[in-house]
Amino acid sequence: QEFQFGPCRVEGVALPRLLEAFRTVKETMQIQDNITSVRLLQREVLQDVSDAESCYLVHDLLKFYLSTVFKNYSHKIAEFKMLPSFSTLANNFLFIVSKLQLSMSRLNDSAHRRFLLFKSTFKQLEMETALSKAFGEVDILLTWMGKFYRL
Amino acid sequence: DGVAALPAPQNLSVHSTNMKHLLTWSPVVLPKETVYYSVEYQGEYESLYTSDIWIPSKWCLCTEGPECDVTDDITATVPYSLRVRAILGSQTSAWSILEQPFNRNSTILTPPMIEVSQDGFHLVIELEDLGPQFQFLVAYWRREPDTKEHAKIVRRGGIPVHLETMEPGAPYCVKAQALVNAIGRNSAFSQTKCVEVQGEALPL
Amino acid sequence: MKTLLTILAVGSLAAHIAEDSSGLLQHPKFQSSNFENILSWDSGLESIPGTVYSVDYKKYGETQWLAKEGCQEITRKSCNLTMETGDLNEFYYARVTAISAEGLPSTKVTERFNPLRHTTIKPPDVTCIPKMRSIQMIVHPSLTPVHTGDGHQLTLEEIFHDLFYSLELQINDTYQMVNVSPGSRAPIRLCSPPWVRPPHAASPPPDRTWT
Repeated sequence: QEFQFGPCRVEGVALPRLLEAFRTVKETMQIQDNITSVRLLQREVLQDVSDAESCYLVHDLLKFYLSTVFKNYSHKIAEFKMLPSFSTLANNFLFIVSKLQLSMSRLNDSAHRRFLLFKSTFKQLEMETALSKAFGEVDILLTWMGKFYRL
Repeated sequence: DGVAALPAPQNLSVHSTNMKHLLTWSPVVLPKETVYYSVEYQGEYESLYTSDIWIPSKWCLCTEGPECDVTDDITATVPYSLRVRAILGSQTSAWSILEQPFNRNSTILTPPMIEVSQDGFHLVIELEDLGPQFQFLVAYWRREPDTKEHAKIVRRGGIPVHLETMEPGAPYCVKAQALVNAIGRNSAFSQTKCVEVQGEALPL
Repeated sequence: MKTLLTILAVGSLAAHIAEDSSGLLQHPKFQSSNFENILSWDSGLESIPGTVYSVDYKKYGETQWLAKEGCQEITRKSCNLTMETGDLNEFYYARVTAISAEGLPSTKVTERFNPLRHTTIKPPDVTCIPKMRSIQMIVHPSLTPVHTGDGHQLTLEEIFHDLFYSLELQINDTYQMVNVSPGSRAPIRLCSPPWVRPPHAASPPPDRTWT
């Protein structure tokens, strides 16, 4: 059970458990987002990502989720009494980022462009709307990460 | 002033074996009173980004014994802070926090218990069920000169697994070790156990 | 950038009129097995005879809802959206509008649906050939309705690259054979990666065989 994002290898995270953690909050979270015509993690961000780009892109995306999405949405999560599942996702994302950092050397332009597209779409929405949409798209992020996961 | 009267639990520590994590503490003893306890946890993320957030433990919102199974709370291989307080009626003590954050990669891994049996000519092993985090490497061989050792990964304990169809004339031996991907570690090998099949080999 | 802003405005408008709470219709949801994706719903508590239903669908992130041909003003309470939701990595919504004899419409939207995440896997089709001292089990590849761009029909083995089978052998007791990967000999029960739901009972074989 490991992720292989191009040159970056991460052992010790069970993707099925993260999917299960999100599944328990999915319905409640995705109901908060009723703008079905806007998607942050759109095709241009995640489609046909090369192995070389994948490490940089997953690093940028997970860092953004940790420092912006999860941090600013934790009060809502607490309100919905979903902290245990949230904690599983956040602490495993933190673990992955810490393992990626060890093998990241320099910037990858095309990966950075993909991340900036995601971020600019996020910034165009009102903050609370953007946070609930981004949190509701964790299954899209995990599904994409699943392409780099080996049992 | 009532709140300070109730002493906080002391001597918190975590005992972890085979990915089962047990938080224990010294009980608060008050004559003719039953004191309850409440446990909360914080992963590294919460302590870095949302330090005001503590999460109630799944099994110990209000528990009587001076211990709490926090296995289901620890779901990542990062340091976790744990805290306990005493509850007596409407009174609550101050929180006591575990001195050193706990990381599950420090768990003690013991060699798995194995049962080796034969059913006719079939060599069968059943491994101890240690939960979903565990897989097993099973090594088996026919005990004779220049024999070759075979290995199989068994993804789950608690069910009999067919290893080999045996030939009479020499014992077959088996040993196993536990593998935990979540922390990238494995246990020592178990004791070796052997069985031998009697009688004529089956015709092809 | 300007295009996006326009979408936002239109999108949020379209999304808000999408749903209401009247009782003509409830629980629209996708049910998927081996990537056969069926939309189904229940009639509402206030449903009256003569109510008809119309189905729309779209990819998450797109503005336009598309009418599903063959599921407009129908009386049955299910609709096969397999062909319309064939991209495994996509996320879809479906929408059902109920129209009662009095003409009052009621619309409900499904949860966000992703075939790869939500499909359950049927058990494999197996042929068993007993011999003197061994049994040869032929597991037939499980074809799915999913096709590649060049029209090749995908099997489960081609979709789930780490698929493995679990074979149970019953002599006096029941033993599990160690998990065997596609292409080796004698697999019987299909186990997919753990995030896809487990299989059920075995069923008769299709045409193509493979051991």
